[in-house]
Amino acid sequence: MKRSAAEIVREYGPFAGVEAVHGVTYDGTHVWFASGDRLNSVDPADGKIARSIDVAAHAGTAFDGRHLFQIAEDRIQKIDAATGKVLANIPAPGGGGDSGLAWAEGSLWVGQYRERKIHQVDPQTGKVLRTIESKRFVTGVTWVDGELWHGTWEGEDSDIRRIDPDTGNVLEQLDLPAGTMVSGLESDGGDRFFCGGGDRGNVRAVRRPKRS
Amino acid sequence: MESLITAAARALQAGDPLGALNRVALRNDAPSLALRGIAMAQLGDLTKAKTLLRSAARAFGPREAVARARCVVAEVEIALVSRDLTWPTKTLAAARATLEGHGDLANAAHAGHIEARRLLLLGRPDEAERTLAEIKSTPLPPASQVARELVIAGIAIRRLRTKAARAALDRAASAARQAGIPALAAEVESTSRVLDTPAARLITRGHERSLLLEEVEDLATSEALVVDTFHHAVRRRCILVPLGRRPVLFALARILAQAWPADVSREALITGAFQARHVDESHRARLRVEIGRLRTKLKPLADVSATRQGFALTPRKTPQVLVLARPVEEKHANVLAFLSDGEPWSSSALALALGTSARTVQRALEELARSNKVQSFGHGRARRWMTPPVPGFPTGLLLPGPLLKT
Repeated sequence: MKRSAAEIVREYGPFAGVEAVHGVTYDGTHVWFASGDRLNSVDPADGKIARSIDVAAHAGTAFDGRHLFQIAEDRIQKIDAATGKVLANIPAPGGGGDSGLAWAEGSLWVGQYRERKIHQVDPQTGKVLRTIESKRFVTGVTWVDGELWHGTWEGEDSDIRRIDPDTGNVLEQLDLPAGTMVSGLESDGGDRFFCGGGDRGNVRAVRRPKRS
Repeated sequence: MESLITAAARALQAGDPLGALNRVALRNDAPSLALRGIAMAQLGDLTKAKTLLRSAARAFGPREAVARARCVVAEVEIALVSRDLTWPTKTLAAARATLEGHGDLANAAHAGHIEARRLLLLGRPDEAERTLAEIKSTPLPPASQVARELVIAGIAIRRLRTKAARAALDRAASAARQAGIPALAAEVESTSRVLDTPAARLITRGHERSLLLEEVEDLATSEALVVDTFHHAVRRRCILVPLGRRPVLFALARILAQAWPADVSREALITGAFQARHVDESHRARLRVEIGRLRTKLKPLADVSATRQGFALTPRKTPQVLVLARPVEEKHANVLAFLSDGEPWSSSALALALGTSARTVQRALEELARSNKVQSFGHGRARRWMTPPVPGFPTGLLLPGPLLKT
């Protein structure tokens, strides 16, 4: 396993009226983050909130190209990114113990925090297709270039780790400085991760290690 | 982090404990237990709340030191509000250090305020003040500021510094408005009322009038000879003759001071101080002895001289004699008088001071407790009694902030 210190490239926020960041996603131009009763989109160039959708937003956030998916209480809401309307609801696999959310390969991937699990879920029905065990409390989940990454947050320690989607073994780990939390994780498809900063109410960009 | 936990925590913050319980009622993981504990505390079931918070503290993993420390602080606050002062102070100190060490300064300050409130309740204002001074001055959340200012006001009132008390209460009121917690604002207001209601009666030359706390404070610098029924003492400025353990002598001093400059007949002194129904020769002999003792005690302040029909008080170095009395002299006023020094008293110590039986004192205390004029803490031999109006004790819970965001 490769282990290194996370390189924080940039910090966004804290934002006015945002107590905590619960989930993060990226739609290709804007970073979206969940802040309890709102989804906010931030332009990563200027770091300002461009738009907000009033919707219950208690944990992970994901984007499938057209829709935003947002965990609220014990369900996953499917939201039209253009209009902000909630189109559908499916049950969340952790029954409310859910934290991170990602969209990849036609499935939703849901982190179940204290159970240290990641579930692959059918986005139409909410059916659990398979479950990957992690070693740590799971927060954000993201897929990039066929790699499965997730954030961890246990006690006062957080890191971002790449795991083997078949075995759950940790392949690579980026440690965040002590007291820096990861709530929500999303790759921009390139060399950046966006991570929610928990109750600091901010979003950080962390460099993704280059593949050799 | 966790979806339902976030939702429940938000409900709690919005003042909706039932909404929070709805979301986590059936869950037994650590954050859910903590949330349920806080919700129960807000709903007033302190016993249940304590049990839940204790299980939550146990259920949090070894890496979750901050979450655990927050549970400890919440549990201790519940204990304080229910006037159980027997909790181990070391536990609170350790939790406070953990929070401080992890940069959770707001909750560390909250823990410090709880400690200061306890010390004030125990009648140790100096230590309370030291504890307040140790708290790192970060910008505190408004609710914490209210707690802090109420303790400061409590200390000032204890020391009869009304100006300082008023200033602290003004700051508390504006912080309470900022916090937007109505119960807290009401707490500040009721504490402020202490300063605006008569705190005492002043009796001189047969007349009496009400005094505010401020005016009582002024008496400390007055030239007059003061017979102080609050502290069972006779004083002039810094010369103090404590008569707390000599109730008969104090009663005589008071009767003489109330009549001053006139004299008081032997019969009046005997019936007033000895509680005798009819006066006989043995009472007269006892009066002579007691007056002799009083004369010795009061030597630096006044003389007690014999007149044709009785005795009269002659103050030294001042032309004025005042009696400072409780606003309402009620049944068991003597018990209240001792308790009003703010110290915790055991019933046996009170019985000794009052010269009555422990059983009589016990009965009086129980009767006073029923009308909320006194309160006790501890059990059995360790039980202590004190008067309740100790400012600085929001009866509502503030509870540590973001308990659940780990």
